[in-house]
Amino acid sequence: MKNRYGLLSSLTAIALFIVLETVAIVMVVNGSVVQRYKVLGAVRSVESWFWARTSKISYYFNYKTENERLAAENLQLRQQLAGYAAAQAELDSVVRIIEPDYTFIGATVIRNSVDKQHNYLILDRGEKEGVEPGMGVITARGVIGIVSAVSRHYSYVISLLNTEQSVSAKHAGSGAFGPMTWQGRDPGRALLAEIPVHVQVAPGDTVLSSGFSTIYPPDIPIGSVEDTHISQGSSQELTVVLFEDFRSLHNVYIVRNNRGTEIQELYEKAR
Amino acid sequence: MKRPADIFYFVLLFLLQLVISDYVHLGPWICLNLIPLLILLIPLSYRPHAVLLIAFGLGLGLDLLSDGVPGLNAFAAVLAAAPRKFFYRTMVNADRQDKTEVPLMGEVGLVKYLKYLAVLTAIYLVAYVLVDCISFRPAGFIALKVIASWLASTALCLLLALPLQSRN
Repeated sequence: MKNRYGLLSSLTAIALFIVLETVAIVMVVNGSVVQRYKVLGAVRSVESWFWARTSKISYYFNYKTENERLAAENLQLRQQLAGYAAAQAELDSVVRIIEPDYTFIGATVIRNSVDKQHNYLILDRGEKEGVEPGMGVITARGVIGIVSAVSRHYSYVISLLNTEQSVSAKHAGSGAFGPMTWQGRDPGRALLAEIPVHVQVAPGDTVLSSGFSTIYPPDIPIGSVEDTHISQGSSQELTVVLFEDFRSLHNVYIVRNNRGTEIQELYEKAR
Repeated sequence: MKRPADIFYFVLLFLLQLVISDYVHLGPWICLNLIPLLILLIPLSYRPHAVLLIAFGLGLGLDLLSDGVPGLNAFAAVLAAAPRKFFYRTMVNADRQDKTEVPLMGEVGLVKYLKYLAVLTAIYLVAYVLVDCISFRPAGFIALKVIASWLASTALCLLLALPLQSRN
Protein backbone atom coordinates (compact mmCIF):
# COMPACT_ATOMS: atom_id res chain seq x y z
CA MET A 1 0.00 0.00 0.00
CA LYS A 2 2.85 2.30 0.97
CA ASN A 3 4.67 1.46 -2.29
CA ARG A 4 1.57 2.22 -4.31
CA TYR A 5 1.20 5.56 -2.58
CA GLY A 6 4.87 6.31 -3.23
CA LEU A 7 4.54 5.42 -6.91
CA LEU A 8 1.40 7.51 -7.26
CA SER A 9 3.11 10.43 -5.54
CA SER A 10 6.12 10.17 -7.87
CA LEU A 11 3.92 10.00 -10.94
CA THR A 12 1.91 13.06 -9.92
CA ALA A 13 5.15 14.93 -9.17
CA ILE A 14 6.46 14.09 -12.66
CA ALA A 15 3.14 15.15 -14.17
CA LEU A 16 3.25 18.41 -12.20
CA PHE A 17 6.83 18.99 -13.37
CA ILE A 18 5.81 18.53 -17.01
CA VAL A 19 2.77 20.79 -16.61
CA LEU A 20 4.76 23.58 -14.92
CA GLU A 21 7.56 23.45 -17.50
CA THR A 22 5.03 23.46 -20.34
CA VAL A 23 3.21 26.44 -18.83
CA ALA A 24 6.54 28.26 -18.45
CA ILE A 25 7.60 27.58 -22.04
CA VAL A 26 4.19 28.62 -23.40
CA MET A 27 4.53 31.84 -21.41
CA VAL A 28 8.00 32.45 -22.84
CA VAL A 29 6.80 31.85 -26.40
CA ASN A 30 3.48 33.69 -26.20
CA GLY A 31 3.71 35.94 -23.20
CA SER A 32 5.06 39.25 -24.31
CA VAL A 33 6.32 42.03 -22.12
CA VAL A 34 3.20 43.92 -23.08
CA GLN A 35 0.96 41.30 -21.49
CA ARG A 36 3.07 41.44 -18.36
CA TYR A 37 2.70 45.20 -18.31
CA LYS A 38 -1.06 44.92 -18.58
CA VAL A 39 -1.47 42.04 -16.12
CA LEU A 40 0.52 43.84 -13.49
CA GLY A 41 -0.87 47.28 -14.23
CA ALA A 42 -1.32 48.26 -10.60
CA VAL A 43 2.13 47.05 -9.57
CA ARG A 44 3.67 48.79 -12.58
CA SER A 45 1.99 52.07 -11.65
CA VAL A 46 3.61 51.98 -8.21
CA GLU A 47 6.94 50.93 -9.71
CA SER A 48 6.74 53.67 -12.35
CA TRP A 49 6.10 56.25 -9.65
CA PHE A 50 9.17 54.99 -7.75
CA TRP A 51 11.32 54.86 -10.91
CA ALA A 52 10.32 58.42 -11.80
CA ARG A 53 11.76 59.54 -8.44
CA THR A 54 14.96 57.49 -8.64
CA SER A 55 15.60 58.61 -12.23
CA LYS A 56 15.48 62.24 -11.04
CA ILE A 57 18.23 61.47 -8.53
CA SER A 58 20.46 59.75 -11.09
CA TYR A 59 19.73 62.53 -13.62
CA TYR A 60 20.99 65.10 -11.11
CA PHE A 61 24.45 63.54 -11.32
CA ASN A 62 24.42 63.67 -15.14
CA TYR A 63 23.34 67.30 -15.53
CA LYS A 64 26.62 68.49 -17.00
CA THR A 65 26.83 65.86 -19.76
CA GLU A 66 23.12 66.15 -20.55
CA ASN A 67 23.32 69.97 -20.74
CA GLU A 68 26.25 69.78 -23.13
CA ARG A 69 24.40 67.31 -25.32
CA LEU A 70 21.24 69.46 -25.34
CA ALA A 71 23.29 72.56 -26.14
CA ALA A 72 24.83 70.78 -29.14
CA GLU A 73 21.39 69.61 -30.24
CA ASN A 74 20.02 73.16 -29.87
CA LEU A 75 22.81 74.51 -32.05
CA GLN A 76 22.07 71.94 -34.73
CA LEU A 77 18.34 72.74 -34.59
CA ARG A 78 19.00 76.48 -34.80
CA GLN A 79 21.07 75.93 -37.92
CA GLN A 80 18.25 73.86 -39.42
CA LEU A 81 15.76 76.55 -38.45
CA ALA A 82 17.81 79.20 -40.22
CA GLY A 83 17.67 77.07 -43.36
CA TYR A 84 13.93 76.64 -43.02
CA ALA A 85 13.42 80.38 -42.53
CA ALA A 86 14.99 81.03 -45.91
CA ALA A 87 12.78 78.42 -47.50
CA GLN A 88 9.72 79.81 -45.72
CA ALA A 89 9.74 82.93 -47.89
CA GLU A 90 9.33 80.77 -50.95
CA LEU A 91 6.69 78.63 -49.30
CA ASP A 92 4.62 81.67 -48.33
CA SER A 93 3.54 81.93 -51.91
CA VAL A 94 2.00 78.49 -51.72
CA VAL A 95 -1.64 78.80 -50.71
CA ARG A 96 -2.35 75.38 -49.27
CA ILE A 97 -1.71 74.75 -45.64
CA ILE A 98 0.99 72.19 -45.16
CA GLU A 99 0.37 69.77 -42.33
CA PRO A 100 3.60 68.32 -41.01
CA ASP A 101 4.04 64.59 -41.57
CA TYR A 102 5.30 64.05 -38.04
CA THR A 103 4.67 65.66 -34.68
CA PHE A 104 6.72 65.03 -31.56
CA ILE A 105 5.99 64.59 -27.86
CA GLY A 106 8.92 65.25 -25.52
CA ALA A 107 9.39 62.63 -22.82
CA THR A 108 11.81 61.66 -20.09
CA VAL A 109 13.18 58.15 -19.62
CA ILE A 110 12.44 56.99 -16.10
CA ARG A 111 13.54 53.39 -16.55
CA ASN A 112 15.98 51.87 -18.98
CA SER A 113 17.72 48.53 -19.36
CA VAL A 114 20.65 47.82 -21.69
CA ASP A 115 22.19 44.59 -20.43
CA LYS A 116 19.48 42.09 -21.26
CA GLN A 117 18.45 40.35 -24.45
CA HIS A 118 15.03 42.06 -24.35
CA ASN A 119 15.64 45.60 -23.20
CA TYR A 120 12.95 48.20 -22.66
CA LEU A 121 12.33 51.75 -21.47
CA ILE A 122 9.59 53.41 -19.45
CA LEU A 123 8.74 57.01 -20.38
CA ASP A 124 6.88 59.56 -18.30
CA ARG A 125 4.27 60.25 -20.99
CA GLY A 126 1.13 58.19 -21.54
CA GLU A 127 -2.43 58.22 -22.86
CA LYS A 128 -3.02 61.57 -21.21
CA GLU A 129 -0.44 63.19 -23.49
CA GLY A 130 -1.71 61.36 -26.59
CA VAL A 131 0.83 58.54 -26.68
CA GLU A 132 -0.37 55.39 -28.44
CA PRO A 133 1.10 51.93 -28.97
CA GLY A 134 3.06 51.68 -32.22
CA MET A 135 4.57 55.17 -32.05
CA GLY A 136 8.32 55.49 -32.56
CA VAL A 137 10.74 56.95 -30.05
CA ILE A 138 13.80 58.90 -31.22
CA THR A 139 16.45 61.36 -30.17
CA ALA A 140 18.51 63.68 -32.33
CA ARG A 141 21.17 60.95 -32.37
CA GLY A 142 19.15 57.91 -33.33
CA VAL A 143 16.09 55.73 -33.14
CA ILE A 144 15.39 54.39 -29.67
CA GLY A 145 12.43 52.02 -29.90
CA ILE A 146 8.69 51.54 -30.35
CA VAL A 147 5.93 52.25 -27.82
CA SER A 148 4.46 48.90 -26.92
CA ALA A 149 1.99 49.61 -24.13
CA VAL A 150 0.56 52.74 -22.60
CA SER A 151 -0.95 53.57 -19.23
CA ARG A 152 -2.51 56.87 -18.21
CA HIS A 153 0.79 58.56 -17.36
CA TYR A 154 3.52 56.23 -18.63
CA SER A 155 4.47 54.31 -21.72
CA TYR A 156 6.43 51.10 -22.16
CA VAL A 157 8.90 51.12 -25.04
CA ILE A 158 10.59 48.10 -26.60
CA SER A 159 14.14 49.29 -27.05
CA LEU A 160 16.18 49.03 -30.24
CA LEU A 161 18.44 46.99 -27.95
CA ASN A 162 16.03 44.09 -28.15
CA THR A 163 16.91 41.04 -30.18
CA GLU A 164 13.37 40.86 -31.55
CA GLN A 165 13.36 44.48 -32.74
CA SER A 166 14.25 45.58 -36.26
CA VAL A 167 14.54 49.08 -37.78
CA SER A 168 14.59 49.95 -41.47
CA ALA A 169 17.83 51.87 -42.05
CA LYS A 170 19.82 53.05 -45.06
CA HIS A 171 23.39 53.75 -46.05
CA ALA A 172 23.58 57.54 -46.42
CA GLY A 173 25.85 57.60 -49.47
CA SER A 174 23.99 55.13 -51.67
CA GLY A 175 20.50 55.03 -50.23
CA ALA A 176 20.71 51.22 -50.03
CA PHE A 177 18.51 50.07 -47.20
CA GLY A 178 17.91 47.02 -45.06
CA PRO A 179 16.83 45.85 -41.62
CA MET A 180 19.01 46.91 -38.74
CA THR A 181 19.00 44.70 -35.67
CA TRP A 182 20.81 44.58 -32.36
CA GLN A 183 22.96 41.49 -31.88
CA GLY A 184 22.49 41.20 -28.11
CA ARG A 185 26.06 41.87 -27.07
CA ASP A 186 27.30 45.43 -27.28
CA PRO A 187 24.74 48.20 -26.54
CA GLY A 188 26.82 50.51 -28.72
CA ARG A 189 26.64 48.47 -31.94
CA ALA A 190 24.00 47.08 -34.32
CA LEU A 191 24.02 45.19 -37.62
CA LEU A 192 22.59 46.56 -40.88
CA ALA A 193 21.90 43.62 -43.22
CA GLU A 194 20.82 43.07 -46.84
CA ILE A 195 22.96 45.83 -48.38
CA PRO A 196 23.74 44.77 -51.99
CA VAL A 197 27.35 43.72 -52.60
CA HIS A 198 27.85 46.27 -55.40
CA VAL A 199 27.24 49.19 -53.02
CA GLN A 200 30.51 50.87 -52.03
CA VAL A 201 30.60 51.20 -48.25
CA ALA A 202 33.53 52.64 -46.30
CA PRO A 203 34.18 52.74 -42.56
CA GLY A 204 32.85 56.00 -41.14
CA ASP A 205 29.92 56.24 -43.57
CA THR A 206 26.71 57.41 -41.94
CA VAL A 207 23.63 55.23 -41.48
CA LEU A 208 20.22 56.94 -41.40
CA SER A 209 16.65 55.87 -40.74
CA SER A 210 15.03 54.99 -44.07
CA GLY A 211 11.55 56.30 -43.32
CA PHE A 212 10.06 53.33 -45.15
CA SER A 213 8.07 52.31 -42.11
CA THR A 214 5.33 54.55 -40.74
CA ILE A 215 7.07 54.58 -37.37
CA TYR A 216 10.19 56.73 -37.73
CA PRO A 217 10.79 59.86 -39.83
CA PRO A 218 13.41 59.47 -42.57
CA ASP A 219 17.04 60.62 -42.37
CA ILE A 220 17.58 60.48 -38.62
CA PRO A 221 21.30 59.81 -38.12
CA ILE A 222 21.63 56.45 -36.38
CA GLY A 223 25.31 55.63 -36.46
CA SER A 224 28.45 55.19 -38.52
CA VAL A 225 29.78 52.12 -40.30
CA GLU A 226 32.58 50.38 -38.44
CA ASP A 227 33.22 47.48 -40.80
CA THR A 228 31.52 45.35 -43.44
CA HIS A 229 31.46 41.72 -44.44
CA ILE A 230 29.78 39.66 -47.10
CA SER A 231 26.93 37.49 -45.86
CA GLN A 232 26.22 34.24 -47.76
CA GLY A 233 27.82 35.72 -50.86
CA SER A 234 24.76 37.75 -51.76
CA SER A 235 24.71 40.85 -49.57
CA GLN A 236 26.76 42.92 -47.18
CA GLU A 237 26.32 43.22 -43.45
CA LEU A 238 27.47 46.48 -41.89
CA THR A 239 28.51 46.78 -38.26
CA VAL A 240 27.13 50.14 -37.15
CA VAL A 241 28.44 52.09 -34.17
CA LEU A 242 25.35 53.80 -32.75
CA PHE A 243 25.54 57.56 -32.18
CA GLU A 244 23.19 57.39 -29.21
CA ASP A 245 24.53 56.11 -25.92
CA PHE A 246 21.65 54.04 -24.59
CA ARG A 247 23.21 53.90 -21.13
CA SER A 248 22.76 57.63 -20.58
CA LEU A 249 19.40 58.18 -22.28
CA HIS A 250 17.25 60.80 -20.61
CA ASN A 251 15.32 63.06 -22.99
CA VAL A 252 13.59 61.47 -25.97
CA TYR A 253 10.85 62.33 -28.47
CA ILE A 254 7.81 60.19 -29.14
CA VAL A 255 6.90 60.38 -32.84
CA ARG A 256 3.36 60.60 -34.17
CA ASN A 257 3.08 59.96 -37.92
CA ASN A 258 0.15 62.15 -38.97
CA ARG A 259 -0.21 60.20 -42.20
CA GLY A 260 0.27 56.80 -40.58
CA THR A 261 -3.44 55.92 -40.47
CA GLU A 262 -3.92 56.92 -44.10
CA ILE A 263 -0.95 54.82 -45.21
CA GLN A 264 -2.17 51.90 -43.15
CA GLU A 265 -5.68 52.16 -44.66
CA LEU A 266 -4.21 52.23 -48.16
CA TYR A 267 -2.13 49.19 -47.32
CA GLU A 268 -5.23 47.36 -46.04
CA LYS A 269 -7.14 48.23 -49.23
CA ALA A 270 -4.36 46.94 -51.44
CA ARG A 271 -4.19 43.58 -49.63
CA MET B 1 12.22 27.17 7.05
CA LYS B 2 9.95 26.94 10.04
CA ARG B 3 11.54 29.68 12.12
CA PRO B 4 10.40 33.26 11.44
CA ALA B 5 14.08 34.25 11.00
CA ASP B 6 14.46 31.73 8.14
CA ILE B 7 11.32 32.96 6.40
CA PHE B 8 12.49 36.54 6.86
CA TYR B 9 15.88 35.74 5.29
CA PHE B 10 14.18 33.86 2.44
CA VAL B 11 11.98 36.88 1.66
CA LEU B 12 14.96 39.20 2.04
CA LEU B 13 16.94 37.18 -0.52
CA PHE B 14 14.03 37.31 -2.96
CA LEU B 15 13.79 41.09 -2.56
CA LEU B 16 17.55 41.33 -3.06
CA GLN B 17 17.15 39.35 -6.29
CA LEU B 18 14.54 41.88 -7.47
CA VAL B 19 16.95 44.72 -6.74
CA ILE B 20 19.76 42.89 -8.57
CA SER B 21 17.53 42.27 -11.59
CA ASP B 22 16.37 45.88 -11.72
CA TYR B 23 19.46 47.84 -10.79
CA VAL B 24 22.64 45.74 -11.04
CA HIS B 25 23.81 45.59 -14.67
CA LEU B 26 27.05 43.73 -15.28
CA GLY B 27 26.92 43.59 -19.06
CA PRO B 28 25.39 41.05 -21.45
CA TRP B 29 27.72 38.26 -20.30
CA ILE B 30 26.70 38.00 -16.66
CA CYS B 31 23.32 37.51 -15.03
CA LEU B 32 23.36 37.25 -11.27
CA ASN B 33 20.75 34.92 -9.85
CA LEU B 34 19.94 33.95 -6.27
CA ILE B 35 16.99 31.67 -7.07
CA PRO B 36 19.21 28.52 -6.84
CA LEU B 37 20.06 29.49 -3.25
CA LEU B 38 16.37 30.04 -2.48
CA ILE B 39 15.57 26.59 -3.90
CA LEU B 40 18.31 25.14 -1.74
CA LEU B 41 16.77 26.79 1.34
CA ILE B 42 13.39 25.09 0.87
CA PRO B 43 13.26 22.38 3.58
CA LEU B 44 14.04 18.87 2.37
CA SER B 45 10.97 17.52 4.18
CA TYR B 46 8.65 19.37 1.80
CA ARG B 47 6.85 17.17 -0.73
CA PRO B 48 8.18 17.34 -4.32
CA HIS B 49 4.89 18.90 -5.47
CA ALA B 50 5.28 21.72 -2.97
CA VAL B 51 8.93 22.28 -3.93
CA LEU B 52 8.05 22.47 -7.64
CA LEU B 53 5.19 24.89 -6.99
CA ILE B 54 7.31 27.10 -4.74
CA ALA B 55 10.11 27.15 -7.33
CA PHE B 56 7.62 28.00 -10.08
CA GLY B 57 6.15 30.77 -7.93
CA LEU B 58 9.60 32.20 -7.17
CA GLY B 59 10.60 32.21 -10.83
CA LEU B 60 7.33 33.64 -12.08
CA GLY B 61 7.34 36.25 -9.31
CA LEU B 62 10.78 37.35 -10.41
CA ASP B 63 9.73 37.38 -14.08
CA LEU B 64 6.69 39.53 -13.40
CA LEU B 65 8.16 41.93 -10.88
CA SER B 66 11.42 42.72 -12.62
CA ASP B 67 13.01 42.84 -16.07
CA GLY B 68 12.59 39.64 -17.98
CA VAL B 69 10.50 37.46 -20.21
CA PRO B 70 7.51 35.90 -18.38
CA GLY B 71 8.14 32.21 -17.78
CA LEU B 72 11.90 32.34 -18.23
CA ASN B 73 12.93 32.21 -14.58
CA ALA B 74 9.94 29.99 -13.79
CA PHE B 75 11.16 27.39 -16.32
CA ALA B 76 14.71 27.43 -14.98
CA ALA B 77 13.60 27.34 -11.34
CA VAL B 78 11.38 24.28 -11.80
CA LEU B 79 14.17 22.49 -13.70
CA ALA B 80 16.64 23.19 -10.89
CA ALA B 81 14.17 22.29 -8.13
CA ALA B 82 13.16 18.91 -9.56
CA PRO B 83 16.47 17.04 -9.03
CA ARG B 84 17.31 18.91 -5.82
CA LYS B 85 16.82 15.95 -3.47
CA PHE B 86 18.74 13.60 -5.77
CA PHE B 87 21.79 15.85 -5.72
CA TYR B 88 21.47 16.33 -1.97
CA ARG B 89 21.54 12.57 -1.43
CA THR B 90 24.40 11.90 -3.82
CA MET B 91 26.62 14.88 -3.08
CA VAL B 92 25.93 15.98 0.47
CA ASN B 93 24.34 13.16 2.42
CA ALA B 94 25.44 9.97 0.69
CA ASP B 95 25.42 7.90 3.87
CA ARG B 96 21.89 9.09 4.76
CA GLN B 97 23.01 9.92 8.33
CA ASP B 98 22.05 13.54 8.36
CA LYS B 99 18.37 14.28 8.96
CA THR B 100 18.68 18.00 8.57
CA GLU B 101 15.78 20.06 7.27
CA VAL B 102 17.83 22.63 5.39
CA PRO B 103 21.47 21.79 4.58
CA LEU B 104 23.68 24.57 5.96
CA MET B 105 27.30 25.25 5.14
CA GLY B 106 28.49 25.03 8.74
CA GLU B 107 26.89 21.61 9.15
CA VAL B 108 27.69 19.83 5.88
CA GLY B 109 31.07 21.46 5.18
CA LEU B 110 32.14 24.04 2.64
CA VAL B 111 33.19 21.63 -0.13
CA LYS B 112 29.97 19.58 -0.11
CA TYR B 113 27.84 22.68 0.18
CA LEU B 114 29.67 24.39 -2.65
CA LYS B 115 29.30 21.35 -4.92
CA TYR B 116 25.58 21.11 -4.17
CA LEU B 117 25.04 24.83 -4.73
CA ALA B 118 27.22 24.89 -7.86
CA VAL B 119 25.27 22.05 -9.52
CA LEU B 120 21.86 23.62 -8.82
CA THR B 121 23.13 26.99 -10.06
CA ALA B 122 24.56 25.39 -13.21
CA ILE B 123 21.27 23.63 -14.03
CA TYR B 124 19.36 26.85 -13.43
CA LEU B 125 21.63 29.04 -15.56
CA VAL B 126 22.00 26.57 -18.44
CA ALA B 127 18.19 26.42 -18.69
CA TYR B 128 17.81 30.18 -18.28
CA VAL B 129 20.44 31.24 -20.81
CA LEU B 130 19.49 28.57 -23.36
CA VAL B 131 15.82 29.52 -23.39
CA ASP B 132 16.69 33.23 -23.43
CA CYS B 133 19.30 33.08 -26.20
CA ILE B 134 18.86 29.92 -28.24
CA SER B 135 18.29 30.22 -31.99
CA PHE B 136 19.46 33.81 -32.21
CA ARG B 137 22.76 33.80 -30.30
CA PRO B 138 25.94 31.95 -31.30
CA ALA B 139 26.91 28.91 -29.22
CA GLY B 140 30.11 30.61 -28.06
CA PHE B 141 28.18 33.53 -26.61
CA ILE B 142 25.77 31.18 -24.83
CA ALA B 143 28.61 29.08 -23.39
CA LEU B 144 30.54 32.13 -22.17
CA LYS B 145 27.43 33.68 -20.68
CA VAL B 146 26.58 30.47 -18.82
CA ILE B 147 30.11 30.12 -17.44
CA ALA B 148 30.49 33.78 -16.41
CA SER B 149 27.01 33.87 -14.86
CA TRP B 150 27.59 30.55 -13.10
CA LEU B 151 30.86 31.70 -11.50
CA ALA B 152 29.40 35.04 -10.42
CA SER B 153 26.08 33.64 -9.15
CA THR B 154 27.67 30.73 -7.27
CA ALA B 155 30.11 33.10 -5.55
CA LEU B 156 27.31 35.50 -4.58
CA CYS B 157 25.03 32.69 -3.35
CA LEU B 158 27.89 31.27 -1.27
CA LEU B 159 28.49 34.67 0.25
CA LEU B 160 24.82 35.09 1.09
CA ALA B 161 24.67 31.58 2.57
CA LEU B 162 27.27 32.56 5.17
CA PRO B 163 24.78 34.10 7.64
CA LEU B 164 23.04 30.71 7.71
CA GLN B 165 26.15 28.72 8.65
CA SER B 166 24.57 26.63 11.36
CA ARG B 167 21.54 26.26 13.60
CA ASN B 168 23.50 27.14 16.75
